[in-house]
Amino acid sequence: MRVGDLCAGRSGDKGDMLDLTLVARDAAAYRTIERALTEDVVQRALNRTVPGEVRRYAVPGLLALKFVAPTALPGGVHASLHAGLHWQKAAIWLLLDLDVEASP
Amino acid sequence: MTPVCRIGAGAGFAGDRVDPAVALAASGQIDAIALECLAERTLIAALRARDTQPDGGADPRLRRRLSPLIPVAADRGCRIISNLGAANPAAAARQAASLAGELGRSGLRVAALLGDDVAHLTDRTEWEQPIDGRLLGAHAYLGADGMAAALAEGADIVLAGRVADSALFAAPALAAGEPDRARRAGALTVGHLLECTGQLTGGNFEPPGGGGLDAAALAGLGFPFAHVMADGSAELAVLEDAPGRVDPMTCTLQLLYEVHDPGRYITPDGVLDFTDISFEPIGRNRVRMTGAHLVGRPDRLKVIAFVEQRGIIADVEIGYAGTFALHRAQLAADTLRLRLRDWAEADLTIDMVGVNSILGAASAAMNAAPPELRVHVSARCEDAAAAQIVEDEVYALTLSGPAGGAGIRSERRPRIATISGLIPRDLVPWSLVWETAR
Repeated sequence: MRVGDLCAGRSGDKGDMLDLTLVARDAAAYRTIERALTEDVVQRALNRTVPGEVRRYAVPGLLALKFVAPTALPGGVHASLHAGLHWQKAAIWLLLDLDVEASP
Repeated sequence: MTPVCRIGAGAGFAGDRVDPAVALAASGQIDAIALECLAERTLIAALRARDTQPDGGADPRLRRRLSPLIPVAADRGCRIISNLGAANPAAAARQAASLAGELGRSGLRVAALLGDDVAHLTDRTEWEQPIDGRLLGAHAYLGADGMAAALAEGADIVLAGRVADSALFAAPALAAGEPDRARRAGALTVGHLLECTGQLTGGNFEPPGGGGLDAAALAGLGFPFAHVMADGSAELAVLEDAPGRVDPMTCTLQLLYEVHDPGRYITPDGVLDFTDISFEPIGRNRVRMTGAHLVGRPDRLKVIAFVEQRGIIADVEIGYAGTFALHRAQLAADTLRLRLRDWAEADLTIDMVGVNSILGAASAAMNAAPPELRVHVSARCEDAAAAQIVEDEVYALTLSGPAGGAGIRSERRPRIATISGLIPRDLVPWSLVWETAR
């Protein structure tokens, strides 16, 4: 299943840090992403585009997972050689377009 | 329950829409409206303006933004709080007072909050990285205290420079009476929820599976407002006649936006724990928030310094269209890599807008060749002469590169690094200066 069919998401930044949030549409979808999207899985997905480690925070009461990559944006968005500023708002599709297996 | 304060979100960045703020102020449904207008780029431009003229450095959009807002806000008793002061809040207050006078609102009181400029305290700040280059400015993120004091003393308009975004929106709820811990937690959390305006009401939002608001709704998107209650709970909504979507999902995405650890969101006014929060729909586009907790108060404030580094970044693009456009663009990119092989790999990006310029190697495989696309080059350059070389190499493709290179654009931007640091709170006192519209 595509993560983007189970969740809404949003990404942002603070300094060098890339910050991504997923909110599941219901409890079953949350169980699926909570099991499938480990720090390792997400780090591998992000590392296709940006460097560094990933930390995960779970907020089960809000059916939400947060992923923070503290060194993904070296020098911040103004130092980026990306086409156009604030490209990090599109980085959430690195997670929304992942395929995961549904949890029972 | 009667709200302690009703706060509207009037702007979430320097260029945000003006009309939703005017609609909120005109509705009579809010006591105060806060406008966040000071991004990093805006402050850099303001610092440059202040360098060239002593009265410069306020937000250049101040007049455009406040002209339609001041009359409706004054008529409804709605106070205005903003960081439109940018690099010169005192000058902004003079401009706003003079504008209010022109608009026939003499007697309006404008307060400027000073104290965020800490460029003289760089040696008392603990920096994450060394300051390497020319210091353009350094500002501490002030909390809500000064703005709340100005409101309590009767300010109709409060203009600050660098303050925490959430503090702008929390200040009105902290100005009334003696807020206890629960109300502080609620006010600060609401501040964070409101600070990005449309992101709480269905902007920058795609529901699971796609879809969402249509173009007419996005074009008319309402900005949010909140009722902060004495017990620290709150209600979040959008005006009834404004398009938008306020539900637990949009609220959760904004609550967790850019907060790093949801159990310890650090603001100058307090450290917040969001992990117990719940959002409950209580009507169409109306949500009740409970469960915000305050778990501490930082003894140091965050500082951001802007440092201009040697060199320039050159951004150049060239377009290709028609059958085999992808092949020709790839050929152009490969040609440029050969021509610019003297550039260090870390200082050069060559990709294709329409293929992989945003997500890089993670871009999904294409099912069909694009009918047109652009080759994009960004290069860190020692100086203007080096930037010229990069630009010329792209232009040279029109004669010596793949067929049909077209639609070239280029720009240069300075290399400005933002460096974060922490400064002891007691080194950063705030003060107010007052102006009255005549």
